[in-house]
Amino acid sequence: MKRESRGDESVEGLGPELGKLWDSAPVPKAPPWFAARTLARIRREESRGGVWFGLPKWVLIGVGAAVLAMGWLRWDREPAVGDAEVFAALDAMVEEERENRWWAGL
Amino acid sequence: MAGNQENEIDQALILRMGQGDEEALRDFIVRYQDRVYGTVAKMIGNTGPDVEDLAQQVFLRIWKAAPRHRAEAKISTWVMTVTRNLVFTFCTSRGSRREVSDVVLDQDTEEVRERRGPITERSPREDLSGKELVHAVQLACAHLPMKQRLVVHLRQHEELEFAEIGEILGISELGAKSLMFRARENLKIKLSEFFTEPS
Repeated sequence: MKRESRGDESVEGLGPELGKLWDSAPVPKAPPWFAARTLARIRREESRGGVWFGLPKWVLIGVGAAVLAMGWLRWDREPAVGDAEVFAALDAMVEEERENRWWAGL
Repeated sequence: MAGNQENEIDQALILRMGQGDEEALRDFIVRYQDRVYGTVAKMIGNTGPDVEDLAQQVFLRIWKAAPRHRAEAKISTWVMTVTRNLVFTFCTSRGSRREVSDVVLDQDTEEVRERRGPITERSPREDLSGKELVHAVQLACAHLPMKQRLVVHLRQHEELEFAEIGEILGISELGAKSLMFRARENLKIKLSEFFTEPS
């Protein structure tokens, strides 16, 4: 949407003189190689889009999800210790205590 | 009418880009490269690698967003909005210090330290070489707050209507006019020694 007049203060521009001053600092144009470089960059980013750290994105997401699932499943699980192991541990404690008392001459 | 035709061409290109057509992307870049590059350069105040990087990011974002784009806004407005977002984010992340050509500018204090000598020692307007005048204008431009600078650029170089400028900046038409007024007053002060227009 281009305006008819430019730099005219009455239509809220900079005014003729200020506008002329402003225009004296040229707006840089894109260098000739810009389009080619931009296309190359976009292609590069596109091809890299599905890969993180050299591995396909879905592999890493899968591994991460599996680790989280394992952690979550094991979080609430009661430690499974059999009765025999508990009694064996108690017997060992009693035996150790008895041995200590013998050495102490009690 | 010409604007409508241009927009129709842009819409067609965006549609093709949404389907992954790289030829359309190339055409789109060629159509907009000067406007995007020029806006970025004017806003961040140099023509170094940052300008090229930011301008490329604009097209990268548009390419990625093309499949989801709906023909609601004018394409040129959309492109300028994306440019504004990137430039404002860049300027914010860069912090308050900005470098403009050979001028180091501190945005908070508006203190200017020039490597070539103080601006007050510049000769009167008639004696100014083109280079010095350009330098003075760049300096005045660098002093403007970001939004004011963008409004002046979009109005003066891109020749956009205030309604469209407001849309790009996410403000009302009146807000855009108000920014333009303040920018003009600021520029008059900064460039007072170079112009004789009655205020």
